[in-house]
Amino acid sequence: MRIDRREFIRATVTAGVVSAVGADLLVPPEAQAQPVVDRWQKAPCRFCGTGCGVLVGVRRGRVVAVRGDAESAVNRGLLCIKGYSLPKILYGADRLTTPLVRKGGRFVPITWDAALDLAAQRIKGAVRAHGPESVAAYFSGQSTIFEGYAINKLWKGGLGTNNLEGNPRLCMASAVTGFYSTFGMDEPMGCYDDLDLTDTVFAWGSNVAEMHPILYSRIVARKHQDPRVMLVSLQTFTNRTSEEPADLAVVFKPHSDLALANAMAHVLVKEGLVDREFVARHTVAKRGLEQIGFGLRDTDEYGGQPPSWATFKPFSDRGTVITFDEYVKFLEPYTPEHAEQVSGVPADRIRTMARLYGDPARKVVSLWTMGFNQHTRGTWINNLLYNLHLLTGKIAAPGNGPLSLTGQPSACGTTRETGALAHLLPAGHFVANPEHRKKAAEIWKVPVERISPRPGYHTMEMFRALDRGDVKVIWINTTNPFQTLPHAGRYRTGARRGGDRFVIVSEVYPSETSRLADLVLPSAMWVEKEGMFGNTERRTQHWAKMVEPPGRARDDLWQIVELAKRLGLGGLFEYGDVPLQKGLFEEYRRWGRGKGKDLAPYEVYTKVRGGLRWPVVDNQETRWRYREGFDPYVKKGEGVRFYGNPDGRAVIWARPWEAPPEAPDGEYPFWLTTGRVLEHWHTGTMTRRVPELHRAVPFAPVWLHDDDAKALGVADGDRVRVASRRGEVVARARVGGRNTPPRGTVVVPFFDESVLINVVTLDGYDPISKQPDFKKCAVRVTKA
Amino acid sequence: MRQERWKTGVVAAGALVLALGPFTGAALGQAPSRTGARLPRTYEGAPPLVPHDVESRKGLCQECHATGAEGAPITPHPDRNHACVQCHVGQDLSVKPFVPSTWRR
Repeated sequence: MRIDRREFIRATVTAGVVSAVGADLLVPPEAQAQPVVDRWQKAPCRFCGTGCGVLVGVRRGRVVAVRGDAESAVNRGLLCIKGYSLPKILYGADRLTTPLVRKGGRFVPITWDAALDLAAQRIKGAVRAHGPESVAAYFSGQSTIFEGYAINKLWKGGLGTNNLEGNPRLCMASAVTGFYSTFGMDEPMGCYDDLDLTDTVFAWGSNVAEMHPILYSRIVARKHQDPRVMLVSLQTFTNRTSEEPADLAVVFKPHSDLALANAMAHVLVKEGLVDREFVARHTVAKRGLEQIGFGLRDTDEYGGQPPSWATFKPFSDRGTVITFDEYVKFLEPYTPEHAEQVSGVPADRIRTMARLYGDPARKVVSLWTMGFNQHTRGTWINNLLYNLHLLTGKIAAPGNGPLSLTGQPSACGTTRETGALAHLLPAGHFVANPEHRKKAAEIWKVPVERISPRPGYHTMEMFRALDRGDVKVIWINTTNPFQTLPHAGRYRTGARRGGDRFVIVSEVYPSETSRLADLVLPSAMWVEKEGMFGNTERRTQHWAKMVEPPGRARDDLWQIVELAKRLGLGGLFEYGDVPLQKGLFEEYRRWGRGKGKDLAPYEVYTKVRGGLRWPVVDNQETRWRYREGFDPYVKKGEGVRFYGNPDGRAVIWARPWEAPPEAPDGEYPFWLTTGRVLEHWHTGTMTRRVPELHRAVPFAPVWLHDDDAKALGVADGDRVRVASRRGEVVARARVGGRNTPPRGTVVVPFFDESVLINVVTLDGYDPISKQPDFKKCAVRVTKA
Repeated sequence: MRQERWKTGVVAAGALVLALGPFTGAALGQAPSRTGARLPRTYEGAPPLVPHDVESRKGLCQECHATGAEGAPITPHPDRNHACVQCHVGQDLSVKPFVPSTWRR
């Protein structure tokens, strides 16, 4: 799609221009009533990874309204209630407005100069005494692209440590390792257009009706248009995505998805539904290491030795090539009948679903989110889903393909793409690769020796190292780990063990994390600063600063640069007469140019409504990667080329079902699965401060099956205790409403800081992706 | 103006008389038509809030909001059924704010 030249000049939209919105039939007429504003300006929504375009109404220096941007191809004028609540997230009465330092168990205000001097002094002191690996930064999929790129440059190119992580490690790391291991390159090949063009949508463990409501609306609209369109909902409990108009709602036992996906591949092979030509031309089969553990012990990634930086050796596995016949043999035991035993899903149902993938007359899109990614075999289940699309050749084509949804507004744009993770450099480069380090040294103008070849601590290891005392100083920015880390009790205690530990937290509101800090830095949020986000479908969007942050709050990019100056590294962020954001972005663009990750010039994003999907080559965005005619990197005559891998082939992985690290037993007889609700976002620090959202869902309940409630003598609304081997919470039981777990499962959302469900969850993780599993652990439920 | 009506004092019959749990608090433990006046929109263009429980009436929105039965406001977008609750959320007015808001129009 060629970008209309006119779109480039649609910058700031005045209220007059917005009346054009009325032409869009998707916007309900009554939503077009106009609030009184001085101006409307474009921005992406601040919440999930869908990346809806909004128009922000500013009046007298404050955000007073938003409306869905009808010109955004993502949402076409629609918003969910969280989107409509955006104006209010800025105005909770307890915004942090001044730096605070802990003195004698209390927080006292200090100046920015004193705060930044103190942070710099603690960092320099730790580096001097214990080396750069004793310093860590934990950023966010809500950080802007500028912030993600800047902290990456400061940490890896400045301080010389790769101890930089982002909370997407808890959110989509398994999707990343899934993409890399199968396609050699991160991020989806398709885009939201697929939802308009497909006739079959599978939601694998993704409650898209609540968590990605605008995409769900798009699916429902398709179903209204064309009765042939099918929605298949595979869940571990019955939720809104299981309800009408879903055509097939399946509930499977936790962790059995590995067996289900293999059984569906089994059916495809047995029933001759494999696209043999596609498989022969574009794939290679592999088998990797098995019985790889769960990272439950601190010694697991230290070769069984006591943990120390010297012995830290993260797990890795490249796999070995097998023949397609060997892959077919691997599938032999995964009959639908066997998978029924493991999953509880009737064998006929499994066949029906496999045939939908295999039907040559159907196009298929698969969606997934945390159900797959927060999984101790998350990489594997991502691989197994790709297998279904590769075996049938239904991939990287309009209406066909796997589309991993993301939970944060810039998990993709910031953390994945700018490489703000412990093993990465920007645009798909790796710290372990000497050529990539050389490129980093050239672009960043730093000595190549300064960039460490060793991956830093991944998130779980970073917080274990803080608990052990191996990490002395940590800067936590735009995220709330002491509410979100699994087995949170350990890491909350670890943060306050004292000694020479020093915890710096940049936040906008008091949170479970800021309360455990030594130094709190008040941040600007969303349109109080300039920013760029990248959404699920590779779409990069820009917004301008529209209002001032409150009090002395300052944006996180300013904080990074001011800290750099005090570390003697201010030169990293000098771009002469070029504004800082533009300087950073134009430098960042050099990383991806010619590498399949091309971005448009900075100015283009400041102007174009709704953003652009990379690779952007010659001002053209890319909707389907790896496909001739759509992707400029695929040459004429190649048809399909998975160019992330040197041989141009995607990998069909033989990945087995293996038992999870913990399952219900006599002592802890229930599965616990955690998650979200539509009205609240993540830890609720923003959405609970919106009165309408708080009144809609004021607290986190424990959803129980009616029969389980009866057996426990618990009525709806009674207080129940949910306890695991690690910790417990007390919350109110909920029988009915939007979720209905099967017997033996309880569901608890994690947004509520008075129900810290993550003190109960298990901190086992996928050894490949290092992503923990928040969806499965064993608990006991009793009347409290 | 909009064709919205809200009739009070009429007890809804049939499927709408449901045993409502205490999850959303006392204010919502009532049938819709007894909850009184409509709630103000947060700002012009923001979706109307629901002055009754929606959790226990899932799938039933159209029963009243398609036709205006029991004085319910008629939806201007009936084609968007199945997605009502992504914009229109129930409000428990007995719940105190988590933190006061300084937002103003």
